[in-house]
Amino acid sequence: MNQLSPPGSGYESRIRTNMIRLACWNGAWIGTCALMSFGPKLLWNRALLLTLLAVGTNVGVGVGMLLSNKKYVEGLDELQRKVYLNALAITVGVGLIAGVPISVMAGYHVIPCKADIAYLMMLMSLTFLVSMLYGTRRYR
Amino acid sequence: MKNRLKVLRAERDWTQAQLADALDVSRQTINAIETGKFDPSLQLAFRAARLFGMRIEEIFHDEDGLGATEIKKDPYA
Repeated sequence: MNQLSPPGSGYESRIRTNMIRLACWNGAWIGTCALMSFGPKLLWNRALLLTLLAVGTNVGVGVGMLLSNKKYVEGLDELQRKVYLNALAITVGVGLIAGVPISVMAGYHVIPCKADIAYLMMLMSLTFLVSMLYGTRRYR
Repeated sequence: MKNRLKVLRAERDWTQAQLADALDVSRQTINAIETGKFDPSLQLAFRAARLFGMRIEEIFHDEDGLGATEIKKDPYA
């Protein structure tokens, strides 16, 4: 009878490492977003060079986050990748379906609020979260 | 697709986590395959067959319970 090594050394620990790395990049990106948004007004009195530096940092960290996300997805096994890609597909769909009409309605002043990108990001984040939870529970 | 993964694992007294580690997938994936909620790729099926020292068709069957050997006997194939 074959004997296997105790669990915990392979896939799970690799995914945990990738997830922690991705979370760090996400945190850094959110931090640079905040710096880019509030820094010019609150920290350096709209100095152009520092604002450009903050934007450059945000883009650079954004690229790092993107690559980290790619590595994370590549490291997932086939079921988890399927769940992830399904959630991503639903998120992009909802983003398009909701984003375009809201933008058009705001353009024609049909709705009272401004079509801010932040609302779309919040909607997409929530959609992704719910889709991931649903997908994970479905295959449990 | 049906499979004998749970039986083969139990015969060897392996946990889902140990099998998942050996096949380099998550425990959730092993559970989903065992309960028939998810069909593995050919690559993963080959890995499982290698691990158990069996042929793929001895582990995985289609819904009618036919392995590849039986399908070959089909005169219409």
